[in-house]
Amino acid sequence: MSKPVLIVGGGPAGLSAAHALATVGQKSVLVDKQQTLGGHPIHSGYAKLVPSGEWARDVIGAMVDRVEQNALVEVHKGTTVKSFAGEPGNFTAELDDGKSVEAASTILATGFTHFDSINKPEWGFGTYPDVVTTTQVEQMFSSGAGVRCPSDGRKPKRVAILLCVGSRDRQIGREWCSKICCTVSSNIAMEIREELPDCHVYIYYMDIRTFGLYEDTYYWRSQEEFKVKYIKARIAEVTSDGEKLIVKGEDTLVKRPITIPFDMVVHAIGMDPNVDNMVIGSIFDVKLQKHGHIEKASTYSAMSGTSRPGVYVAGAATGPETIDDSIAQGQAAAMAAMTHTVPVKAAAE
Amino acid sequence: MPIHEKSLIRPEDLVEGSGEAHIIDGVDVSGHWSTFIKSRVVKDYNEDMEAEIAALPGGEFIHRCWQCGSCTNACTVNAINPDFNPRYWIYLIRTGMEEELLRDKDIIWQCVSCHKCSYTCPRDVLPEGVMKATAHWLELKGHTPKSHSTVFDEVFAEQVIKTGKIEEGRVLRRFLTRTGQPLLQGWVLTMALRMIRHFPIKLMIHMGLANFIHPRTSGWGRARAAIEEYVEEQEAEHRKALKLDQPAE
Repeated sequence: MSKPVLIVGGGPAGLSAAHALATVGQKSVLVDKQQTLGGHPIHSGYAKLVPSGEWARDVIGAMVDRVEQNALVEVHKGTTVKSFAGEPGNFTAELDDGKSVEAASTILATGFTHFDSINKPEWGFGTYPDVVTTTQVEQMFSSGAGVRCPSDGRKPKRVAILLCVGSRDRQIGREWCSKICCTVSSNIAMEIREELPDCHVYIYYMDIRTFGLYEDTYYWRSQEEFKVKYIKARIAEVTSDGEKLIVKGEDTLVKRPITIPFDMVVHAIGMDPNVDNMVIGSIFDVKLQKHGHIEKASTYSAMSGTSRPGVYVAGAATGPETIDDSIAQGQAAAMAAMTHTVPVKAAAE
Repeated sequence: MPIHEKSLIRPEDLVEGSGEAHIIDGVDVSGHWSTFIKSRVVKDYNEDMEAEIAALPGGEFIHRCWQCGSCTNACTVNAINPDFNPRYWIYLIRTGMEEELLRDKDIIWQCVSCHKCSYTCPRDVLPEGVMKATAHWLELKGHTPKSHSTVFDEVFAEQVIKTGKIEEGRVLRRFLTRTGQPLLQGWVLTMALRMIRHFPIKLMIHMGLANFIHPRTSGWGRARAAIEEYVEEQEAEHRKALKLDQPAE
C-alpha cells in the first residue's frame, strides 16, 4: 500500500488535486488552515465566477462536497503543517493538531492573499466608507444585499472602478500584473449595470488585459451591451467633498486634469503572494521567486515541480492565477505527485 | 518666471496682468510677470450626451469605440486639418465632456462622408455616421446654424415628399434662396450659357414649365402620407431623446 499524498490548501487547486488522486484510487491527506474548505472563492464570498457565470458557492461548494465525501481523502481543517522532512516517497509531516502524516509526496496549493488597499492610502480606502474593494462588491452580490454605499445604504448613481490597485506598481513593490482583475472588474461592472440600470460605471485603466477569450465576452460585451465606460487614467487621489467622493487624475486621452464626483469607488485589488509564504517556504524548504511566490521548476521538464524533489505546487501559490487554471494545475500536480506513490518497480514493468 | 510654453495654452485660458492692480480671487497679483493659467480641470461628465448622439441616425454604435484612432488615421479631412479628429470627439461624447466638444463645433460638420473610417474601424463603430449624428445634434441643440448640406437635404426631401418627383431647377433655386445666396452666381450662369449653346430645347421647355406646373407621381397621396407620418415619428423621437420641448423647426 503506497503512502498518501499530502496536499496543503483546500482551495480550487488543492480540491482539484485531491479529487484527481482519488479518481485513480490514490489516497491523500488534505490540510487547510481554515475551518472550512474552498479557499478564497468560499471564504472571501465570491459571487458569480468568471467565465462560467456560475455561483462560487454552487460550483466550488460542489468541489468541496466531492472531496469531503470521498473516503480516499483524509481532511484536516483548521490545521497547518508544523514541520516537514524526508525524501521523495518517504516524507513525514507534523501537523499542529499533533498528528503525524507519512506522505509519498506533497502538493502545495497554498494560494494567495488579497492586496490590502490600506497600502495605497491616496485612494481613500480605510478613510472613506464608500471606497471598497472588488472582494467587497463580490460579497454584496453573493450575500444578496446588492450594491449599496456602505456609508448610508443608498444605491450608487455613479461608480468608479480603479484598476491595478496593488498591481504593476513599483512604489509598493508589486511589479506583477494580477492577471484576473481586468476581467473581474468588467464582470462586476456588468453586474452593477444589470442590478442598477440607472447607475453609470466607469473603469479607470492603464491597459485593459482581458486576455484570451475574455476579450469579446467581457471587455467588448461590457462596452457594447452594458455601456460601461473605460477611461485611460491612473487616478492620483480619492478625496471627499463631504457628500461625494472626488476622484482626481488626468484623462490622458484629452490631456486634461479631471475632478469627478462619485458615489462609490471600487479598488480592483491584486493578488499578493500568500502572507505565509516565508513560513511555508522555510517549513517545506522550497525556494520563493523574487516577488515571494513559490518558485516553479521548469515547465518543460518538470511541470508542477518546485525547487525540492517530491514537493509540487499548483494554483495561485506560484503567482496570480485564474480559478480555472488553478484547477487544471491541481490535476497536473496530482499527476506529478503520483510519480512517488507508484512503486518504482511496478511502474518500470 | 515667464511661461515658456505659453503657445501651448489656449489664449482664452490665459489671464495676463496689465502691470496695474490685478486681482484674482481677492489676491493682488499685479506685476509684469503676472500671467496665470485658468483652471482647465474637467469637473463633471454630462452623462446624457452619448445616449443623445446614439439616438440620432448614424450614432447607434458610438458606445463600441475603444479609442484606437484608426478612424482619425484614415480620415480624409484630418489629412488637411489635424484638428478634425473623430476619435477625440467620440471620446468626448462618450465621457460627456460637452464643453470640450463645443469648442470644435465649427469643424465637426466638415466630414466629407468618404467612409474610409467605416471600412477601417475594427469595432464597427461607423464613425462617419457618428460625425453625421454629431453635426445633427449640434444643429438640433442650437449650437450651430443649419449647415448648407442640411438645408439642401431639406429642400430636396420636401419636394420629393410633396410630389414624388425632383425638379433640379427648383431644388437649386430654393436651396440658394434659403441659404441666402444670390440666384445668379458665376457657376450658375456658366451652366445656363452652356445649356443655351447646346440648346436642348425639350429639356429647357420642360424646366421652364416646371416653374409653373408641378407634376406629381400618380397615386402619390398614400405614399406621401406614409412618408410624412414616418418622418414626423422620427423627428418626434429625436426631439424626445434630446429633451427638446419645441419642434425642431
